[in-house]
Amino acid sequence: MLVDHGSYVQRITLILHNGGIEHVLFSKVNGPSMLPTMSVTGDWVLEENLTTHIPSLRPLKRGDIVVATSPFNPRAHICKRVLGLPGDIICVDPTGEYAPSTEHVLIPKGHLWLVGDNASMSRDSRTYGPVPMALVRGRVIARYWPWKDRTIFGSNVTSLGVI
Amino acid sequence: MSFRAFRKTATWKALTFIPLGIVFVKHFYTVKIITGRSMQPTLNPEPCIWRDIVVFDRVSVQTVGKFARGEVVALRSPTNPSDLLVKRIVALEGDVVQTLPPYPEQEVKVPPGHVWLEGDEGFRTIDSNRWGPVPLGLIDSKLTFIVWPPPRFGPLPEPLQRRTGTEESRVWRRGFVEMDREKWRDSRVKKAEDSFTKSSA
Repeated sequence: MLVDHGSYVQRITLILHNGGIEHVLFSKVNGPSMLPTMSVTGDWVLEENLTTHIPSLRPLKRGDIVVATSPFNPRAHICKRVLGLPGDIICVDPTGEYAPSTEHVLIPKGHLWLVGDNASMSRDSRTYGPVPMALVRGRVIARYWPWKDRTIFGSNVTSLGVI
Repeated sequence: MSFRAFRKTATWKALTFIPLGIVFVKHFYTVKIITGRSMQPTLNPEPCIWRDIVVFDRVSVQTVGKFARGEVVALRSPTNPSDLLVKRIVALEGDVVQTLPPYPEQEVKVPPGHVWLEGDEGFRTIDSNRWGPVPLGLIDSKLTFIVWPPPRFGPLPEPLQRRTGTEESRVWRRGFVEMDREKWRDSRVKKAEDSFTKSSA
């Protein structure tokens, strides 16, 4: 019996491309910049990018965790929290470490202000300014590994104190 | 018709080729129509009835990811993520560029992982002189080959390489003007020595 390998490969590609990989990604997040939320050693999270392709389904909100291409290195990705949407006025750094604490910026059209939860160990919009929305790869919706810390990440706006 | 019977039909066989097509277009090469006037006279030059159709090379951006000054690239608009724009790379990371009017500062050093992009038609383009340096991550593809219209069928000219035809011909004069434009563009950029991205000769 002959097995048509070609068409199997094609069908698997279709499933991966349109059913799985394309809209949901299983990715590993590590590093100290999101510390209380994500661990340093690496968490496996579920990331969806259907709504980044079709923003009208669910526009990004303040407090969402997103994965984006790093503005300094097109090969690297960053995982940060959205603090400001286009049109918001943001205080660059209230502690005055990166910029005078009185400096404010207006987020331009099509940009986001991304910060890490662990401000002292994070290189984020305080360094490189507003990030274009086109760099956002997807939104982190849940952590599934380690299993005992499984969580669904909502847009926890209240804890950020943003109205 | 049962699924078993459907699997024998030509429709099913044709369907199995769709994913290959999708992958090819999304990750290798695609063909698009250029709209707008910001890249005149390289693309959509004035006395022309048709809009240009150009091959976009995604695979070299997604694998090698090296860029040269003078290359024409397509990028996701920094102000509207759903738009794809076509601009020319003027400066790479580490270069110092002399900016044009709308930009607030006279000189800018391009930060790491960024490029300075400009349209060829200075009066009808919204480019880095409006946005500032652009992250490399926004670049989607390189423009490599003009497919349509037939008179300009062929690869997108390399910088300073487009002077063909005999002297005094229209093509030669147009090439001369473009050479001047390229010299002027180059004169505004102070090139960085230790740039990891390859520089055009």
